[in-house]
Amino acid sequence: MRQAFLDGAHRAMGDPALQRALDRNAEGRQRARREAWAGLHDVEDLRQHARAIRQVTLDRLDSYIGLFTQRLHERGVQVHPAATSEEACQIVVDIAQRRGATRVAKSKSMLTEEIGLNAALEKAGIQAIETDLGEYIVQLRHESPSHILTPALHLSRQAVAETFSSELGLQVSPEVSDLTRAARKSLREVFLSAPIGVSGVNFGVAETGTLCLVTNEGNGRMVTSLPPVHVALMGIERLVPTLSDLRVMLQLLPRSGTGQKLSSYVSLLNGARRDGDPEGPEERHLVLVDAGRTAVRRSSLSESLLCIRCGACLNACPVFREIGGHAYGSVYPGPIGSVISPGLWGGEKYGHLAKASTLCGACVEACPVGIDLPTLLLRVRHQQTRIDPQPRWLGRSIRLFSWLATSERRFGLAQRLAALFSRLQPQSHGWLTALPGPLSAWSAARHFPPFAARPFRRRMRHLRLQGSGRSPEFDPRVETFPLPEAAPISDKLGRFAAELEAVGGEFIRCPEAEAADRVVGQLHLQGASRVLAWGQVEPILFTVLQRLEQDGFQVTQPHLPSRPYARPEALEKLDGAQAGVTGAQAGFADTGTIALSMGRRRSLLPSLLPVAHLAILRSSDIYESMQDWLNKVGAPLAASTQCMAFITGPSRTADIEMTLTVGVHGPAQLVVICLE
Amino acid sequence: MRVQLMVTCLVDSFFPEIGEAVVEVLTEAGATVNIPRGQTCCGQPAMNTGYRSQARQMGARTLQIFGRSPYPVVVPSGSCAAMLRHGYEELFADDAPRLRQSRDLASRSFELSEFLVERLRVIELGASTTATLAYQPSCHLLRGLGVDRQPSELLSALNGPPVERLQPDCCGFGGAFSVDHAEISEAMLDRKLDEIDSAGVEAVVGCDVSCLMHLEGGLRRHGSGVRCAHLAQILTSREPGLR
Repeated sequence: MRQAFLDGAHRAMGDPALQRALDRNAEGRQRARREAWAGLHDVEDLRQHARAIRQVTLDRLDSYIGLFTQRLHERGVQVHPAATSEEACQIVVDIAQRRGATRVAKSKSMLTEEIGLNAALEKAGIQAIETDLGEYIVQLRHESPSHILTPALHLSRQAVAETFSSELGLQVSPEVSDLTRAARKSLREVFLSAPIGVSGVNFGVAETGTLCLVTNEGNGRMVTSLPPVHVALMGIERLVPTLSDLRVMLQLLPRSGTGQKLSSYVSLLNGARRDGDPEGPEERHLVLVDAGRTAVRRSSLSESLLCIRCGACLNACPVFREIGGHAYGSVYPGPIGSVISPGLWGGEKYGHLAKASTLCGACVEACPVGIDLPTLLLRVRHQQTRIDPQPRWLGRSIRLFSWLATSERRFGLAQRLAALFSRLQPQSHGWLTALPGPLSAWSAARHFPPFAARPFRRRMRHLRLQGSGRSPEFDPRVETFPLPEAAPISDKLGRFAAELEAVGGEFIRCPEAEAADRVVGQLHLQGASRVLAWGQVEPILFTVLQRLEQDGFQVTQPHLPSRPYARPEALEKLDGAQAGVTGAQAGFADTGTIALSMGRRRSLLPSLLPVAHLAILRSSDIYESMQDWLNKVGAPLAASTQCMAFITGPSRTADIEMTLTVGVHGPAQLVVICLE
Repeated sequence: MRVQLMVTCLVDSFFPEIGEAVVEVLTEAGATVNIPRGQTCCGQPAMNTGYRSQARQMGARTLQIFGRSPYPVVVPSGSCAAMLRHGYEELFADDAPRLRQSRDLASRSFELSEFLVERLRVIELGASTTATLAYQPSCHLLRGLGVDRQPSELLSALNGPPVERLQPDCCGFGGAFSVDHAEISEAMLDRKLDEIDSAGVEAVVGCDVSCLMHLEGGLRRHGSGVRCAHLAQILTSREPGLR
């Protein structure tokens, strides 16, 4: 195992394309995280708060799971506890077989990677299609993800183009935008026709039974709302007590992972489709997976369960930067993976990973919940000395060193011998150029200092130095450090516009009377003739829709049939629309986010299927932040609607060469028309 | 102020001149330095390789040696100071009496620059050099102890060219890591050496002897003329040039 790791690392370090990709990842992601954290009011407070939330949840996990399960039942979600990976896979296979499904559409989920769901489905004759762009590419290549957030981190765009050519028969130029478009096209059919959608869960909210999914591409929204059946899989530890706690996590998760203030799409899912809902799965299942977590909870590695899978520690780790994810040989690579993997699957197979660290602490510095990874790595190393004491020479050396260092006499003697030995070694300008035995690994790339002929303690033996007698000086410079500049405060609307534009959205401000003109103008710009829209749920939409009909647009208000076999055809029709027009319940000034809740004649598909999405928002509905909205009006809505979407800019991905591309699955264009 | 010096096994065995410089700096700053007899190693190498029973033996000894008097303990190494400040609490978590001793020792252990600036309130030590320097913020010092401002202030009071700051990225040492994961360690070292090269300085200064030993070993191997110096050596420099 250890040797396989070293071999994998060796291969990775000799691969120049991979090295470039890893540098790009480390530099880009770290910079993005630092900038995103710097924009928070008091990031240390927030980290402490987030950690406390996670800790409280873990401390009372059983009761939170109980409450969560009860709430899910009340909302018509079928909950399946699974003690092991095999059980979890079997549950999904059973659901698929009962529905007679031969394929499922998946959004990225590390948990399903962990339990080996795709292999289990395949064994049962069910095809699992990954729809996250990076994961899709990796699946086409029959590889495993090399990063928990950026699965195809290790691949160049040329490699992706070759894969599309050999696996899909598509001739695509190795341009990131072309590759993304090709994937959009080929995966769109999957979304429309898949009988079952499978996803992970970023957080479960115990108090409300809400499943929260955080994605950028939009595939997560597709698989949880288009197919008639949605199966979500979630590790038992991924709970937070309340919606307000969720908001804290959402402030940190995207900022830490990709450096975004908020990911493009945050979905809150509450139960299965209800009467009057225009879409959503008739059946929603949640598989609550233990698979070793309870054992980890009771072990000295329990702190690792605080992890929210943001990937920040991978991006910060200097070892990961050298060797990439695959070398770790585990679904979970990097610092957190070197703790979780032995925690879940034992030290025999994965304990050696904990040694692949200098304990430099870059991981804990980057961790949004402050997991003390160096200490956890030390605990794994400690266990490892009993399970698999490799390399042997190390243990022997430490025992010898300890024996020497527990007696000053022995230590002194050893120092003299070592000094003598130093003189016999090959040297250059006084430093040793070659060392014997295992230490030759050091001297392969570095000189080594000679042992001192007279160690410090011998030099000082008779010396007890006295103070110089003068009083310590006080230097007033100690007290002066620069204060951080206060962020400029501007109006809510202005900040909303700036944030929206910063994430690639467009902001239009107009009087209510002009709204219809603006919408029509935008649709003409898009060359759109077929439009998906909300119904006349608000007076302003009444005006706008009337105008669209007058002007000859073909407007559809989506409402999916409940009979599963009728769905693909209905979706096929909707898919032809070039633009979507909706209202929005709220806007958040701090992130440029709009909030849309599903309801009667309020389908979320106009915000998801077409290439362009126009949202009409009243300026009076703009709140300071998600928290502000939840506190004032939003919480009951967020907890009751079958699906709440927080949308921050267009659909995006950086899965190929970390190059930002919009419109991967969802809209490439988001226009918010703000009414004064 | 009376202080106890924990000189560390690396300084003792390889770089006694750094130990002498530390004593000189502390004395110059107004402290009375005591070097408790019997000290060898704090146990960090055993702790970091997972051999905790050996680490406990060395740790228990260290607790005893520096527990004989209540004076602050000054350590010219970030990682050894971090071992005293945080490591023993983990190591002796299940040993109540030693845990108490560990917490007591942790509360009065300081890395050298931290002690000079925070406790002795000394920044100006009258040091001068003509050498161009780059400061390497070492990992355990920076992230383990949160010590960053202190060495920078001491270096900015230096009479000499302004001191550059290298990136706070690991040099790849990591104790046994540098031997049993030598190839990865080397790749990390190479990055750091490139950075030093482009900084174009004559010496790298730091507060962790182990990192400096690693860096200088790499610099010498590459035939570079750049040398490494401990902060104390710079603070005692009264002449132009180094060594």
